Amino acid sequence: MAYMTNPLATPDQIFHKNSLDSLPTELRDAVFFSTQCLTQAAGILLQLPQSVTAQANVLVARFWLIEPMMSHEFSDVSAAALYLTAKIGPCPCTPRDLSNVYAYLLSKSSTFLPSPNSSLPKNIPDDYYQSETSYQAFHSRVLSLEHLILCSLSFDTTVTLPHPLAITYLQSMDFLNFPKEKITRRVVEYLNTALLSPQMLYLTTQPNGLAVAAIYNAAKDLGAKMPECEWWEVFDVDREDLGFLVVGMRSLEGWAEDMKGDGVLGKRKLGGMITRKDVKEILGSNESQQEEEDPELAMARRMDEKMREIEGGTA
Amino acid sequence: MSSKGKSRWADDEEDAAREAQLKKEKEEKKRLKAEKARKLEAERKAREAAAREQQPPPEESPNGPPSKRRRVSHEPESSTPQNGAPPETTNPSNLLRFNGGTFSRARSVENYDKLNDIEEGAYGWVSRARCLSTSKIVALKRLKTDPKDRSGLPVTGLREIQILRNSSHRNIVPLLEVVVSDSTTPLDPSIFLVLEFLEHDLKSILEDMPEPFLASEVKTLLLQLCSGVAYLHDNWILHRDLKTSNLLLNNRGQLKIADFGMSRYVGDPPPKLTQLVVTLWYRAPELLLGATTYDSAIDIWSIGCIFGELLTREPLLQGRNEVDELTQIFELCGLPSEETWPTFRRLPNARGLRLPSNPTPGSTTSRIRAKFPLLTSAGVQLFNSLLALDPGRRPTAKEVLEHEYFKQDPKPKQEAMFPTFPSKAGQERRRKRETPNAPARGQKAADLGAVDFSGIFAGREREERGGGFALRMV
Ligand SMILES: Nc1ncnc2c1ncn2[C@@H]1O[C@H](COP(=O)(O)OP(=O)(O)O)[C@@H](O)[C@H]1O
Ligand SMILES: [Mg+2]
Repeated sequence: MAYMTNPLATPDQIFHKNSLDSLPTELRDAVFFSTQCLTQAAGILLQLPQSVTAQANVLVARFWLIEPMMSHEFSDVSAAALYLTAKIGPCPCTPRDLSNVYAYLLSKSSTFLPSPNSSLPKNIPDDYYQSETSYQAFHSRVLSLEHLILCSLSFDTTVTLPHPLAITYLQSMDFLNFPKEKITRRVVEYLNTALLSPQMLYLTTQPNGLAVAAIYNAAKDLGAKMPECEWWEVFDVDREDLGFLVVGMRSLEGWAEDMKGDGVLGKRKLGGMITRKDVKEILGSNESQQEEEDPELAMARRMDEKMREIEGGTA
Repeated sequence: MSSKGKSRWADDEEDAAREAQLKKEKEEKKRLKAEKARKLEAERKAREAAAREQQPPPEESPNGPPSKRRRVSHEPESSTPQNGAPPETTNPSNLLRFNGGTFSRARSVENYDKLNDIEEGAYGWVSRARCLSTSKIVALKRLKTDPKDRSGLPVTGLREIQILRNSSHRNIVPLLEVVVSDSTTPLDPSIFLVLEFLEHDLKSILEDMPEPFLASEVKTLLLQLCSGVAYLHDNWILHRDLKTSNLLLNNRGQLKIADFGMSRYVGDPPPKLTQLVVTLWYRAPELLLGATTYDSAIDIWSIGCIFGELLTREPLLQGRNEVDELTQIFELCGLPSEETWPTFRRLPNARGLRLPSNPTPGSTTSRIRAKFPLLTSAGVQLFNSLLALDPGRRPTAKEVLEHEYFKQDPKPKQEAMFPTFPSKAGQERRRKRETPNAPARGQKAADLGAVDFSGIFAGREREERGGGFALRMV
């Protein structure tokens, strides 16, 4: 089966991600989510195809299972991954454009991830003016990170996205007799949102599983009628995996809201991209009050709740 | 869903309605499956090249389910602990498990012991080395990087790695891994492709052969070449630099295509591409005439040139520059006309060409016969089609494999019966040769300007061309 697979994370890599740099799960997840959002925002401003940006998202996720999160500025990792996938893909972007876009997104003027506690920023162009020196410095960091990302991943830049597969599956089911555009858009939204999720679904699931789960969720949301049979098996996904994915994909929205509310991101005074400095500060002030629920258990509990919700509505 | 209840797995529920329902579901699944297979095939064909086949790196073990945590179930009966039972036990219908391997950090080049240099090429240099842990002999190709290049690692090298990684075919040189040097400073990274080692490249063999290849040997080599190229084209890859120095041969008569420094993925319709590809002597006429949309037919042209070279041991069309290359092409294949190449006038560099109004003297077939007196008529016919001026008329690599030429006597020689040749790669450095290189990055495509070909067949012999024949630029 050519053209349908991705390299996946090993169980070991998943289990040890926290010990790579001993960040508390909540912080790690906040950084992950913010960085993936930043990459998406930059991709849009650079007018890159979503497929290029999505590949950068996946490379960042893989990279952080190999390299400690705290060893490089998060926004630099995002920029380098985007630079790399754009370069290999059909439309490379210049370091200058990249630098301008990131300078803007990281500036006080940017509306990226605003804090709920402050009003929306005013646009002050001086905020994101780049001196030649800071451009050169940024450029050098991106180049060395590009190299580091490649080394960390053994120069394997292949990312197979589930999007085309999902469309094919939809086609073979006649779009569930639903308006084609509507359901397709919903499916694509699920797939794109999953890129941002700290559950790293793209690193644990092959594209066929992601495609099927997105279709299942979209159909549920829109009330489209799915085939009576266990149709996911036709696409080589079993019910158990599907259940996990369906919940995982659905849980992100609520989780992100929480985090931007009274979670890590919301608690910050200022909005914008989270930095290593922010993380260090949070770590410093958190030191004393550390009695988190076991993250594994918490996750399992959240999923059970969510699944009950979904099932409840359709039984 | 209505059929989700626990009871559907219970043995005692066997009423006819249930059976009928199951049967209906089965049929529906079957229909979906057939539909899916059809769609998938169409999809695979139509798909942009972004998605790629992935093969697991050799030393990695197949990975099981990523983590315990993901097996969160919403079915009461399967939430009972399975004591580490494999997922297949809960998988009644034998679903296909996809395996795309894993990812991990690149190893150090210190895992290899360098033995000797083989060759320096346009994009890297190559040496023979031994893997310290397995004692296996490999070829290490170092990517040329330029620390002063502020665009970072060259995209050609990255594409070469990506394409080799995604390819797996007996006639494509296997990439075993990519390693880096320990002393890497971020600004001068050393990156090495670890390739299966093959004793020869075809160019070196041809140069040292006292006698040309036998017809049966030419057939075997050509078949292997076309089989590899067919695989590439099937996977939306254009090689864009096929030539004898990029074709490797081992002592078991196996040919493998190497040097993917120029290659890339293309979609359908093909994107706008640079015409600055393929070493001059193997470059198709549409490229010389400035085409920016082109397709797999450019590789087929190169195969034609290689075919000629295998027969005579001499590169077929050794132009001194673009104009001279075109001249030689037209001399062999005839002048392009409305009939032989209807669209050629639309190519950027064709506008300035002045062609003689009188038709090309003699037929292409007769010129090919004269050049290759030993070639059978099926061979001439194949050769002729590979070197069709109109790219649309060249056969696909797959079609070549089916050609009559290979069915006729003498039959293609068995690979294992191939003669062995003294390996230069094994001992000393291969001789540096005067084959031109593939165009370099950043080079400007030649604008042929206005060129007058009207004197091309004015009865002069090629030998005289040195002074008088050179094309006039008007
Ligand atoms: N796997 C290999 N085994 C043996 N020799 C090789 C191998 N790969 C390359 N070579 C030798 O090195 C030469 C240059 O390699 P190539 O990949 O063509 O690099 P370049 O892009 O620099 O031309 C080839 O012509 C061949 O002689
Ligand atoms: Mg070469």
